[in-house]
Amino acid sequence: MTASVILALGLGVVLVRRRSFAIALVSVQSLALGLLALDHDGELFVAGLVLLVKALALPALLVAVLRRTREPRLVAAAAGPLVRLAGTAAAAALAVVLLPPLATGDIHAERMAVALVVVGLSIVVARRPALFQLLGLIVAENGLSLLALSVPGGLSYVIELGALFDLALVVVVASFFTRGIHGELGTGDTELLRGLRD
Amino acid sequence: MTELALLVPLIALAGGALACLGRTPAAADRLNVVAALVTAAAALTLAALALTGEELRTRWLQVDGASGVLLAVIAVVGLCSALVSPAFLRTAGRSWFTAARSRRAYYAALYVFWAALMVVPVAGNLAVVWLVVEGTTGASALLVAFSGRREALEAGWKYLVLTTLGLSVALLGIVILAIGQAGLGETGLHALDWTALERAALEHDAALLAFVLIIAGLATKIGLAPVHNWLPDAHSEAPAPISALLSAALLPSVALVAWRVKTALEAAVGPGAAGAMFIGFGLASIIVAVPFLWRPLPFKRLLAYSSLEHMGVIALGIGFGTSLAIAGVLVHVAGHALAKSLGFYAALPLLRADPEAGSRPLAGVAASPTATAITVSLIALAGLPPSPLFVSEVLIALGGVQAGETAVVTVAVVALALGFLGLLHALFDGVLPEAGSRSRPHRGERQLVALTWTLGTGLLALTVASALLPGSALVEALL
Repeated sequence: MTASVILALGLGVVLVRRRSFAIALVSVQSLALGLLALDHDGELFVAGLVLLVKALALPALLVAVLRRTREPRLVAAAAGPLVRLAGTAAAAALAVVLLPPLATGDIHAERMAVALVVVGLSIVVARRPALFQLLGLIVAENGLSLLALSVPGGLSYVIELGALFDLALVVVVASFFTRGIHGELGTGDTELLRGLRD
Repeated sequence: MTELALLVPLIALAGGALACLGRTPAAADRLNVVAALVTAAAALTLAALALTGEELRTRWLQVDGASGVLLAVIAVVGLCSALVSPAFLRTAGRSWFTAARSRRAYYAALYVFWAALMVVPVAGNLAVVWLVVEGTTGASALLVAFSGRREALEAGWKYLVLTTLGLSVALLGIVILAIGQAGLGETGLHALDWTALERAALEHDAALLAFVLIIAGLATKIGLAPVHNWLPDAHSEAPAPISALLSAALLPSVALVAWRVKTALEAAVGPGAAGAMFIGFGLASIIVAVPFLWRPLPFKRLLAYSSLEHMGVIALGIGFGTSLAIAGVLVHVAGHALAKSLGFYAALPLLRADPEAGSRPLAGVAASPTATAITVSLIALAGLPPSPLFVSEVLIALGGVQAGETAVVTVAVVALALGFLGLLHALFDGVLPEAGSRSRPHRGERQLVALTWTLGTGLLALTVASALLPGSALVEALL
């Protein structure tokens, strides 16, 4: 049930147009994932730290970026919300169909997790604002964390903390870029970053 | 050797901190030279031990002949990049960092990147090496966009997003492997050690899925076609010393990770399937690169497409996996690193004298030390004898025949011949003087002359050494 809600929140990021709504959705998704992790047998310290960073620290950073990169108007979407949703759902469904059983003992969780990774990747590909692409990376990482919860005996805390550190590093660096792109273009629309062609 | 392997990246990090301590630009540059020399000396010592000593396999480390070659490459290219960096920074102009911070930011990111690169060839665990490879992305993306120009931001953003995306796919594969290992009773971090993966009796379908995801994800970071879109932009927009590190050190280091994955999972997925994926990526990369080698492209962009071609050759060699092909891969990694980094260093005085040269094809650089460096680099990259890349390509082709992949070898050889002609075409067009034109002398070329002699001599020495590799204990240990 919780895994389905986490997936639905990811699909919400595909649909919404406002960056602030999308940050809120990803924050709630990370919170739900963190609570699910705390509920599992494992390192409480690690689960708590992951929850704090993903559900609070990174969204707070993104809100700060949002405030410094105000858009004069909403960035036009490459496709309508229903088209985006249909495309993402089709890609996720295909991944689920092709997925062989992974022997976690919880096929539903396996499918939800892999579908969420695909949703995250689709957000990066389909959404034009830089901040949305960044959120797509976090959604994909949340999908990986969801799958990691299914690993019998749990994934090593070294990997969980390392992946968290890498995610935080990428988000911080990408935040620099988002501000730089906005400063240079006056907007965070990555569609305008098409000057380098051969 | 264990202590040194752990110490080398720490020395690089300490060196970066030292360079950042300089209160004036000149002091920072001097400290950078000291830090670079010490770091490179430590890394070369470790490389020598890896190439001449017993293979070291612990739970955290795997140091073998391939590690030795990569460590030597990373040490030499890192040292050269650090030594030419002051010349770049003196005339870099605009940066997206404030003037006061830009030098420190540059050195900090350079040494973090260099330190991370030196962990990759010696890490004994798939998950740890993934974390380090992902860690290289943050530091190197900042360096790619160092100028803060629109094009540099575009290149840095593409690099950051696409490689992170690819590495997310690879991590999905790693988690699937962890699930498979847990099913066999192997849990925790060490279930993903190279040695643990090699002996694991993983279920075929899940292992194959994990293998495909990991290799496809890593291919994004190696810059193999068709997931290479970030490569030409990042290589052409990054500062020249960073382009050299990206092309000559980062790409082959990640290729080594992919090779280790192949070795570890070959038993579970089957040698045919494992090799086929590398051959597919390799052939696609060579074929995609060739038309661009014929186009009149700016010099650094031309070098970037050459990287695509050469990573394709390395992937082919890994895919064939025979004794001759592996010997060829080792020579190719080293030869490509020396030749490609020299090409990027040659771009420094070129762009300093004429910044517009970064946006138009090479022309009119005849009769200058820059022309000599470009000529040596392009001839070596084209694979014209006595370039070691000629030897390595022949070895890989023979290795392909040895593996029974004659059709693949035929296509690859034709594509490589076309690429060879394309690079020679660029050389003649760019370096030979236009009628009535005189080449302009470029400042700071003494350093380039020294680099040309050093790296050129290294290329010739490698050609000689490559004759000793086939059938050697170094190669046999990697099969």
